[in-house]
Amino acid sequence: MENLILFIAHALTSWLVSLGLSPWWADLILLILQWTSIVMIITLNVLILIWLERKVAGFMQERLGPNRLGPFGVFQTIADTLKLLTKEDIVPSKTDKWIFKTAPMFFIIVAVLLYAVIPMGKDMAVVDLNVGLFYFISVGSLSTICILMAGWGSNNKWSLLGAMRSVAQMISYEIPLAFSLLGVVMIAGSLNLSDIVAAQHKLWFILLQPIAFVTYFIAATAELNRGPFDMPEAEQELTAGAYTEYTGMRWALFFLAEYTNLVAVSALASTLFLGGWQGPWLPSWIWIIIKTYSVMLIFMWMKWTFPRIRMDHLMSFSWKVLIPISLVNIVLTGAAIEFFHGMGW
Amino acid sequence: MFGKGLIEGLGITLKHAFEKDITIQYPEERPYLQDRYRGCLAYDSPKCIACGLCVKTCPNNVLTLETFIPEGTKKKKARSYTIDLQYCLFCNLCVEVCPTQTLYFKHDFELSTYNREDIKIVYHRPPELNLVPEGKEEASPGVKTELSDISEADAKRFKQIEAMKTVLGKNPQKSLSKILESEEDIAIMTSLMSADDKKLAKLAELLIDDRDKAAKLAQAWVNKDKKDRPREAGEQG
Repeated sequence: MENLILFIAHALTSWLVSLGLSPWWADLILLILQWTSIVMIITLNVLILIWLERKVAGFMQERLGPNRLGPFGVFQTIADTLKLLTKEDIVPSKTDKWIFKTAPMFFIIVAVLLYAVIPMGKDMAVVDLNVGLFYFISVGSLSTICILMAGWGSNNKWSLLGAMRSVAQMISYEIPLAFSLLGVVMIAGSLNLSDIVAAQHKLWFILLQPIAFVTYFIAATAELNRGPFDMPEAEQELTAGAYTEYTGMRWALFFLAEYTNLVAVSALASTLFLGGWQGPWLPSWIWIIIKTYSVMLIFMWMKWTFPRIRMDHLMSFSWKVLIPISLVNIVLTGAAIEFFHGMGW
Repeated sequence: MFGKGLIEGLGITLKHAFEKDITIQYPEERPYLQDRYRGCLAYDSPKCIACGLCVKTCPNNVLTLETFIPEGTKKKKARSYTIDLQYCLFCNLCVEVCPTQTLYFKHDFELSTYNREDIKIVYHRPPELNLVPEGKEEASPGVKTELSDISEADAKRFKQIEAMKTVLGKNPQKSLSKILESEEDIAIMTSLMSADDKKLAKLAELLIDDRDKAAKLAQAWVNKDKKDRPREAGEQG
């Protein structure tokens, strides 16, 4: 079980080579297969996640949630997807066509790119990048541009307002997000995610870096545009923010990308703070799924508990609270590392 | 402490997540209705004393009451009672004001209909009860029938009576000649009918049901009229 997926990959490569392909071609085909499977997993995962989100929201409000289609309503999202696929694709006449049409594509591409470096199990990162964390943060911040594209291209005041809010929010929260990860990097001594997981062999970093975990969690919520920080969408104020003018599958792509980002951020949280794929008895790739889903459930729990925060409070919270706290955390971590090194540990 | 409220809120939602859902799966599960639930307004016709208080108190003119006084009695009776539910706001005023608890709310709340006319609930006094012999109390109290409950035969009879009424109104000579002999009597009857709609209606009903009775009644009316008229003339003189 542990090496099931790796075994399949190796068998596939050796079979391709035995067919007479050069190893370079075999690797390329394997890479394409890996990306395809990632996209498949993401899409299926989003179907489950949307169902889960609605179920969780229902339970917290003492409702039943979707319960009509299939057992416990699990097929509800499939029906919704089919509906979105068959809807008319409306492009308003006064939009900036190219930007309007490419924004959702870029958004989903950026979201999928995040999965390149996340170790999905033992030795199971698609690309074992030595600056993996840096890559993750930099690619993650690109999604701001996509939302700005959507907002600008829509030629709609609500869309633009939502996009502007998104940019302000993302730039502000990018800083505490990166700072909170610095503590982990300092302890692990590496930006490679596999190395960071390996460094948590004895002790999860959530115990060494609890403040960093909390700041990461808050900043990540803001990065994901999820409640209580869903200012860019804020349906009561901006209808649907940057997504107002989008219909059918274009809108669904945004939705898909948002949930894909949610999975990526949760997977990163479990990789950096919860020991990644490490765990007893079960195969490593099941452990990362369990941990990721636990983190996502906490995200959902928070979304359905807290009311939306006001825009200026949101900004001042980032600049006046989160950034100082994460800076202090870095200083403390550095001091502690020096101290324990001096002690000879 | 800062953030205490957030933790508290998370606790509350978590608690609610594991509590019993309050959703009722409506068509499969029926809601529990309290005793005083205001569903469809209903009319219990035997109790009705035709006082008309409900009609007066209704703010939306939902209720219509048609009354008549049976021959030889002094008490008003309801001929038909119409509840036009589409305008009803279930304010309870009519139910409260009713002195005999004739009006009440049922627990039936599924009041949608396919046609706009169907939402009207019409209670008719069965037609045979209108033909009480003179000087006698009614044999049985009015039986509640909804318009939809009336049998086909009854509906046909109603149509015939309506048709007869129009015939009597427009061309009385022809139809009256079948029950009255002299030209003079027919003329008197015609004038009587144009003066009194109730007489016309009654005659029409009898013409459909029993022609002999109609003839007798018509003759009686005419004779009465003949008797009254010389006296009137004398008084004037």
